[in-house]
Amino acid sequence: MADFSTSRAIAASGMAAQAERLRFLSENISNADTPGYRRKTASFQEVLDAGQSTGKVQIGPVELDQAALERVYDPSHPLAGDDGYYDGSNVNLVVEIADAREAQRSYEANLRVFDQARQMSRSLFDLLRR
Amino acid sequence: MFERLEILAIARDLAVHAGARQTVTAENVANADTPGYRARDLPDFSEIYRSGKMETSLRQTRASHMDLASRGMVAFAEDTDGAASPNGNTVSLESELVRAADIRSQHNRALSVYGASLDMIRAAIGRSR
Repeated sequence: MADFSTSRAIAASGMAAQAERLRFLSENISNADTPGYRRKTASFQEVLDAGQSTGKVQIGPVELDQAALERVYDPSHPLAGDDGYYDGSNVNLVVEIADAREAQRSYEANLRVFDQARQMSRSLFDLLRR
Repeated sequence: MFERLEILAIARDLAVHAGARQTVTAENVANADTPGYRARDLPDFSEIYRSGKMETSLRQTRASHMDLASRGMVAFAEDTDGAASPNGNTVSLESELVRAADIRSQHNRALSVYGASLDMIRAAIGRSR
């Protein structure tokens, strides 16, 4: 019986991590045109309890992508330098959208596992009702 | 005759195995995007049952030891061999969902056998439904 609550907790940690990842992605997308913005990336890591794997997942520390900022030519822009260029953001919308699709796919898989654990424990309780 | 009904014991063990395997699958799916994570799976029920591991699960002999007993059969999980993605992760969501469907039918099978055996016992004592 403890198995099903464990597996529901694990699936829920997966959904929470994917949702947090989606939040960083939406921050990146909304700041795609912010001058000097560096895209945020975060990696997943296992949750350890006293050095022992618990199977749960969490999102790791946020890092800023150190890729070169895009140089945009616009002499009328207030931030433009002497040569007429200013630093844009290093967000690539295609990468962000692809990442968002992957997050959605993983979220749905976690949801399916959660639902299945729920149904299995319910059918276990149905034994008592016979 | 009714001290220990073998069929109920086997059905129970099969359901326990399905539950433990469901936990391992949940771990794999949750870590589907964790770099370097290796997908794991439990051996088949027949394998575990024949090797007698059902009775001899890992026990804690000292309070300071790692608590593997609370993880139950999950502690028997082994790495599966699958192709690793560039970040070293070997989880394939497709095979995990197929495995989840297998687990579902295994669990249903165990509960049906258990329920039908209970019905037979009830019928034997004259309380059929």
